[in-house]
Amino acid sequence: MTAPAPVKAEAGVSPKSRRKIRDNLTGHAFLIGAVLCFALFMWYPMIRGLVMSFQRTRRGVTTWVGWDNYLRIIDDPSFWVAWKNTFYFTGLALIVGFAVPFFVAIVLNEFRHAKGYLRVLVYLPVMLPPASALFLFKYYAYDPSEAGLFNAILTFLHLPTSEWMQSPTMTMPAMVLASTWMNMGGAVLIYLASLQNISGDLYEAAELDGAGIWKRIWHVTIPQTRLILALLAMMQIVATMQLFIEPLILANGAGTQDSATSVAYLIYQHGFFQNDLNGAAALGVIMLVVLAAFSAVYLRLSTKD
Amino acid sequence: MSVPQYRKVAALALVAGLGLSLTACSTKSDDDGSDAAGKVTITVDCQPVAAQKELLDNWNADVAEFQKQNPDIVIKSISVGQQCNNPPDFTARLAGGTTTDVFYGYMTDLQQVLDSGQAMDITPYVNKDTVSTWDSVDPALKEVFTDGGKLYGVPVKNYSMGLVYNKTLFQKAGLDVNNPPKTWAEVREAAKKISAADKSVAGYAEYSAGNTGGWHFTSLLYSQGGRVLSEDGKKAAFNSAEGKQVLQNLKDMRYGDDSMGSRQLLQWGDLLTNAAAGKVGMFIGAPDTTQAIVSQFKGKFEDWAVAPLPGQSDLGKGTLGGGEGYFFKKDLTKEQVEAGLKWIAYQKLTPGKGQFDYVRAKPQNYPVGLPQPLLFANGSEAQKQEFDLRKANANVPVENFALFENKQLPIVGEPRDAQAIYAILDSAMSGVLTDPKANVDTLLKTAEEKVNQLLAAGS
Amino acid sequence: MTRTLISHAQLRRGRGRVIYWTLLTVVVVGFTLVFLGPLYWMVTGALKSGQEIAQTPPTLFPQDPQPQNYVDAWTQLDLAKLLFNTFYYAAGAVLFQLVFDTAAAYALSKLRPAFGNVILGAMLATLMIPAMVLIVPQYQTVIDLPVLNLSLIDSPFAIWLPMVANAFNIFLLKRFFDSIPEEIMAAAFVDGATPLRTLWSIILPMSRPILGVVSIFAVTAVWKDFLWPLLVMPHPETRTISVGIYAFAAGTPQNVVVAASVIAALPTVVIFLIFQRNIMSGLTAGSLKG
Repeated sequence: MTAPAPVKAEAGVSPKSRRKIRDNLTGHAFLIGAVLCFALFMWYPMIRGLVMSFQRTRRGVTTWVGWDNYLRIIDDPSFWVAWKNTFYFTGLALIVGFAVPFFVAIVLNEFRHAKGYLRVLVYLPVMLPPASALFLFKYYAYDPSEAGLFNAILTFLHLPTSEWMQSPTMTMPAMVLASTWMNMGGAVLIYLASLQNISGDLYEAAELDGAGIWKRIWHVTIPQTRLILALLAMMQIVATMQLFIEPLILANGAGTQDSATSVAYLIYQHGFFQNDLNGAAALGVIMLVVLAAFSAVYLRLSTKD
Repeated sequence: MSVPQYRKVAALALVAGLGLSLTACSTKSDDDGSDAAGKVTITVDCQPVAAQKELLDNWNADVAEFQKQNPDIVIKSISVGQQCNNPPDFTARLAGGTTTDVFYGYMTDLQQVLDSGQAMDITPYVNKDTVSTWDSVDPALKEVFTDGGKLYGVPVKNYSMGLVYNKTLFQKAGLDVNNPPKTWAEVREAAKKISAADKSVAGYAEYSAGNTGGWHFTSLLYSQGGRVLSEDGKKAAFNSAEGKQVLQNLKDMRYGDDSMGSRQLLQWGDLLTNAAAGKVGMFIGAPDTTQAIVSQFKGKFEDWAVAPLPGQSDLGKGTLGGGEGYFFKKDLTKEQVEAGLKWIAYQKLTPGKGQFDYVRAKPQNYPVGLPQPLLFANGSEAQKQEFDLRKANANVPVENFALFENKQLPIVGEPRDAQAIYAILDSAMSGVLTDPKANVDTLLKTAEEKVNQLLAAGS
Repeated sequence: MTRTLISHAQLRRGRGRVIYWTLLTVVVVGFTLVFLGPLYWMVTGALKSGQEIAQTPPTLFPQDPQPQNYVDAWTQLDLAKLLFNTFYYAAGAVLFQLVFDTAAAYALSKLRPAFGNVILGAMLATLMIPAMVLIVPQYQTVIDLPVLNLSLIDSPFAIWLPMVANAFNIFLLKRFFDSIPEEIMAAAFVDGATPLRTLWSIILPMSRPILGVVSIFAVTAVWKDFLWPLLVMPHPETRTISVGIYAFAAGTPQNVVVAASVIAALPTVVIFLIFQRNIMSGLTAGSLKG
């Protein structure tokens, strides 16, 4: 694929434009591998997903069914619950999974000792296969009896215990906790790097103006890292909206009374449990529209000021 | 690294990578199953996993013996996991066309298999000449694998559920092991006593996740005389007095008596793990769950006994029956179908061989003597042979299963779209087992809406 | 060392110093508990028997260690196979991404063929589309590739090829190549070097940091991915480690599942600890440039 494509010299074409054609072909030869992959696994599936969402396949026969798949998906009592759960998780993960790494990074950045050790610690869970980390939480940490790690600690501290994944109200916070533990390492590293790029003069000047620590964070650190904060927030929202493996492993899918059902899990359930790939495709399209709308609003807001 | 070195490494990596991927490709061949020497090759799934060491050894011995008897046939066994049919994997295999030539499925899978277009009509192939015990096989089981007068699968196992209970825990709680509960009220009393005797034990345990919650709900519902679907199969019928009673019973035990343990959201292996660890007094299941407890989860089979499924006022009005069979993939050659049938006939349907080789199983750590699988029709030739062999080689106290075997409840099959419906009913089960404030009526109503919608979508 | 939020001077004097050391101790102890504690629990928990795990309150050390759990996990789940698969897919993903994405980014950055910007735009548009949205049609595509009518199910290409379609990597690489001065390219062309030669001997050697970042991303993506391999690698022989453990969890005693999880985590944790300096600096430097 890397060899320049041979070009036939055509009569009546000037050497200059012939050269241009050849350069173009060389360029496209370099592009072709990636373009084919994009075409097959991104662009074509986008169209196919849209088409599928208006069709129905039964016993090998495909028919057009209009909006049927969409109506059926929206009628599913789990549909709105799944959206509610997904937004709840995203919001909670944003508060916990976004603010915590930022403050961890700020604190780490101040230390002159043990910095490397702490950095490695925070990143260590990222290295675990996700299933490993989640089974640890499922079997040991979130065991609802007092034999569970968390409940044992709570009992030891004379605090009320929880049933964790079995309690409809604790399901989401427990998933956010596990997910943050597993994933925060990456964000901490990125924040640390961007904190190191802040010029010390800015803090110096702020301090001379009489700004305390919190004021300096507010007026120097945050504005200076705003771009990376905005970018990471966006990436995290898109990632958490696809919540899947946490409910699948921690809550065996739907959890108690649908308290863990996410939109992504619903797609999986329709497609692979209920043998309804068309409905799943429709749900995918709905998810895309919601995320696109969200991204548009977000971009609009973040570029405004 | 200097530039030339760097390039060398990169080039090497490239060559190595491509080489590897090419070999990876070449292992996947789609030949028609016969080679130059005239041998017929078929792939078969549901080979036992390594955790079930003796079962796996038995299977491999069967394959070796079968191939010796049939030198033109090569059996390639594939193990697909602890549960041979984990619904999402099964769906993926069907949709992707990656099932084995002869593939395992539940009795409830026929519709899905037909929808996927992966199964073959084997009516012309199956008869007394290809499967010698075919006429003894329970006609009701054949019916399950038949659609529109055409046969698509061969049944190889059949079960019905009863009340499985731990005799050791019964004794500890001062209960009579020979007189297990006959009604749900008695189950509740017994569970209370078992949990009182040992706080860490769940007197009665129940599933509520991974489709198994819905599966057991269905059985509990049958014991009450209820049904999951209406007669015509077009509407949900479980939002009824019987359905409410099922959930109410569980709720009373879970939150009224606290006799179901604190661990919920259990699925198949979770409950059996707890049971093997001696932490479960009673649960409902087929007699063969005791085999899984022993061979997979390291429990002791002398602990376990099985009684008929209880009901509300007397023994259950019915119990759930189900089972397994093998389908044949479309586009197989005639020779492959015949080879596959021969294998199934040998390993699954011949008294004294394969799964019925009780002489071999007797000394193994695997219970023989269970009234299972109910594959052959009552009074048929094969049934008599199987029964005599089983009695002669039983290695478990047969009386542990006598109650169950002597009182056969009417068996009710699983509803259509069973796995999808079970997934929905899981959430009713988990609701009542994890939320003290759960409202039985609301749970059933929500599930009913979902099931109706699912049925409307499927038709 | 540059100055940060709080000045050095303040941290070295009197009250500041006390607070600094107290905070440092609290954080070091706290982090050790929070991040290493669960791992300790996992390793020792997998050594306990089923009865001991259900014990209240839980034991800090296994009273009757059962190393058999680890042996069972290794043999019953065939972890060697699962780990090999995962590394094999990761290596292939790195290779395919490096070859195709580098070539594409190079073309878009330096060769700039006609419609290059349109193609780049179409690629970048997919950045906004989360994987979950396309999972069903992508799956359908892999089952039956259009035109070719091939099924990639259970073939490593089902993981490798879709990973090439990664707009973020192309964007990162293109940004990096953009920063390489045109003069270098021009000089090479004057010397008669072909575009391929220029890429190979001039651009690539200069781009090692970014290639490292792309490789780390590729490995992490394969390592962390779950649903896609669950769907396209249904055969037990082709499963990845995460999917394999999940698939066996339902019918395996809990302690064996956790033991398998520990073994599964070992290789990457060890690799990470050995190369942590390179990985950390590579990641932070690379992601900032991008």
